[in-house]
Amino acid sequence: MKLKLTLCLLLVGSFVAASAHALEVKFERDTAIPMVYLNVAIKAGAAHDPKGQSGSSYFMGQMLRRGTLHKSKKEIDLAFDQIGAQLEVETRSEALILRGATLSEKLPEFLKLVGELITEASFPEGEIIKLKREVVSKILEERGKDGALARTKWEEFLFTGHPYGNPIKGTIGDIENLKRRDIVQQYDRFFQDQHILIVGSGDSESALIDTWAKNISAKRPNRKRKDDIQMVSAPPIHTKRRVEILDKPERTQTQVFIGQNGVRMTDPEYFPLYLGNHAFGGGSFSAKLMVEIRVKRGWSYSAYSYFRQGLQPRSWQAFYFPATKDTPEAIALGLQLITDLKENGITKDDYEFAQASLVNSSGFMFNTPQKRVENILLERTLQLPDGFMKSYGKNLKEVSWSEVNASFKKFLKPEALSILVLGTAKDIKAKVAKATNVPENEILVVPFNRD
Amino acid sequence: MVFLFSMQSIQRPLRTFFLVSIPFLIFGCAHSIPSSTQHQRLPFVGSMAVEKFTFPNGLKLLVVEDHSSPTFAYQTWFRVGSRDEQVGHTGLAHLFEHMMFKETKTYKDGEFDKTLERAGAEGENAFTNRDYTAYVQEMPKDKLELIVKLESDRMVNLLVNEKAFKTELEVVQNERRFRNENSPDGLMYQDIFGVAFQKHSYRWPVIGYEEDLNRMSAKDATDFYKTFYSPNHATIVVVGDVSAIEVYKLVEKFYGDFKSQNDPANTIVSEPPQTQARHKTLKLNTQVQKIMMAYHVPEITHPDIPALTLLSSIMAGGKSSRLDRALVDQGITTSIDIFDLDDKDPSLFILFASMQKGKRATQAETTILKELERIKKGPIPVDELERAKNILLAEFYDKFGNAKEKASFLGHYETVSPGFSTGIEILNKISRLTAQDIQAAAKKYFEPKNRTVILGVQK
Repeated sequence: MKLKLTLCLLLVGSFVAASAHALEVKFERDTAIPMVYLNVAIKAGAAHDPKGQSGSSYFMGQMLRRGTLHKSKKEIDLAFDQIGAQLEVETRSEALILRGATLSEKLPEFLKLVGELITEASFPEGEIIKLKREVVSKILEERGKDGALARTKWEEFLFTGHPYGNPIKGTIGDIENLKRRDIVQQYDRFFQDQHILIVGSGDSESALIDTWAKNISAKRPNRKRKDDIQMVSAPPIHTKRRVEILDKPERTQTQVFIGQNGVRMTDPEYFPLYLGNHAFGGGSFSAKLMVEIRVKRGWSYSAYSYFRQGLQPRSWQAFYFPATKDTPEAIALGLQLITDLKENGITKDDYEFAQASLVNSSGFMFNTPQKRVENILLERTLQLPDGFMKSYGKNLKEVSWSEVNASFKKFLKPEALSILVLGTAKDIKAKVAKATNVPENEILVVPFNRD
Repeated sequence: MVFLFSMQSIQRPLRTFFLVSIPFLIFGCAHSIPSSTQHQRLPFVGSMAVEKFTFPNGLKLLVVEDHSSPTFAYQTWFRVGSRDEQVGHTGLAHLFEHMMFKETKTYKDGEFDKTLERAGAEGENAFTNRDYTAYVQEMPKDKLELIVKLESDRMVNLLVNEKAFKTELEVVQNERRFRNENSPDGLMYQDIFGVAFQKHSYRWPVIGYEEDLNRMSAKDATDFYKTFYSPNHATIVVVGDVSAIEVYKLVEKFYGDFKSQNDPANTIVSEPPQTQARHKTLKLNTQVQKIMMAYHVPEITHPDIPALTLLSSIMAGGKSSRLDRALVDQGITTSIDIFDLDDKDPSLFILFASMQKGKRATQAETTILKELERIKKGPIPVDELERAKNILLAEFYDKFGNAKEKASFLGHYETVSPGFSTGIEILNKISRLTAQDIQAAAKKYFEPKNRTVILGVQK
């Protein structure tokens, strides 16, 4: 199988906006299949977990399905299953999204149920105890999945001490110490009209969704709070190269992240960097990183680089997973390629190719109702201008070759990159030190199962 | 969560979104299609229809016109997967899939990808399964001829050189480390097939064994290509903003002269009935214990598949399902999943769960067995049956959100069964099933001697 990154997603077409109130609603009618997709998004997430309460946003989100003033978890589960509907809660750093899907003929029952979860959540103690066990167990299970574990630990390492480094599910210690009042407080902070966005698509009249949203709003009057959601501060920038080995026994393969702080999507450098990154490591089989790491050397099944986005500049990173035996060389090559990218930029041919590829495929960023919904979620939760995602093609078309290379020269800090390697430390530490030019005694070795 | 299809909600007759049967065939559409090419117009989703063409060289083409977006999905499904491999050559189908992106007589190495990417291709990819290998991408609507040209070229003009083969072999070994060797779940999945099957080729992993991969040469790949990559082993599926007749003409133009190949001798050995329960414990690098349990079940076209599918939904189809209640709600596991019910040959009904902290996989095993016994003997209330059908119905529609998903449905069923309508027939049958049908299937397949269990415990 070939592995590729897909572009992020899209934006606004024939959406009906109906926001006479602070709570914002956007719904696109689509009768192609008899389904309705509904997202209730909160513009806050794991980055807003209070200190010592990592995972509290995730936990609160999961608890929404576990009890209301009138229904137990068992009754809620039965009610959703009876109509064949789904409702999952996704937690991001700066968003919490209830993702629902239902047969359109069951929409009234579905809306009633979701409305009840949002406005009458009861957070029963018994369910808190049960969910704690489940979340702790999931954290333990994730330690068996190298890719997922490395991703979580990479964020923690790059943003050490900053909210962007908060693990979505939290730490075991913090989860075990969570109190019901902490969860209720997080719920009260998050579920304020000004933080709520309702976006959906499907086989329904938008008026029905709008009326429902108004009812939700009426049932949860806004209250001024001292601890209202505040935008997180910009993460600190590292000034020297750092290496962490996440030490896990018996690895025949490592997971390698190399990166640094990123840029906001509204930064003038963003589109030049985005285009340049596509040429360097954008997931394409013609990208430099893929060609050098996979196609020429066969070192890793995949190799790519990407930006992660936030309200503040977040991250840019390269990622690949070579065999343990190839890891030092693969890291050294990755560092060399990044250094070359800063010094020499991308070639004119690579620039033209990346631009044509991105511009010609930009229509795929908004070619289905569900992608358009995702675009709105992204625009609203990251405070991007309306239509931002749909403007990719136009913006990328205007980027010049010199802008790409000038932006990379300014942006990249090879001397201050952070490098995380999940692998067996005794097999790789000395060689990784040499490959990264970081003294062996400065390399952090962290047990993979440390909380 | 289960893989599912259902045509009808119990409460109300299904809206006519999905046509309930496949009653009519229209041959020889007006557009100058020669009589040597079979053409059928078959009902599909809602008002959509599938135009099905079978060319004289055996190539099948399915086209669905869907003009909701100026794009289309183009997929090529070959009826070859790991089931067609020989002992000692495991992993060849998948490894060969990687080679399909290399040089051809017409295009230099890398040119295929680059040409497609420059044209704005989305989701260019490929995947290999036990029963098939598929090559997929989505394209802007004005790039139809380009993709037909490129895909047809690599069907017959691929060049396999030793150097590129060896490099790609390294990539695949790395993929194997990623999917299996360093993955507790991957190792268990490999073993459930490895233990449950003793004769049939489903017993080895799609990715292959390390030692087999290391023995392979470019010649193996070339032989494989000549044997399996021909028009009579392929189905092209196109869904999106296209004209069916235009697609037909282009496929005729670029593939029409390709010669069909003889079918290889069928060396696939049927799996003899399992005569006693099998049990294995794997020591894994995991922090929680896991269990994978499997029962032999028949092939996708078998009349018992709808009942087994509905059974999977009752057991694990939602948070109110029997096993969710008995395992997750009771604090034994964090999840319960059932999968793998759609293979060409008799395969496995697999249950998979990860334990909660401190819980033993044997506890889950006991509970699952108890629940399977309970469904054989106890009542299945009408509302529970209805619930399971509604879940399957919603999951079914959920798979039709875009052109790519529609194409995948068509390609999958067209490849593992006599035709894509198999997937729709399963849905129809599920809507008519009764509690007695479910219990009959449970009694027939959930026998101790038909069971294989893999426990994953901490090293």
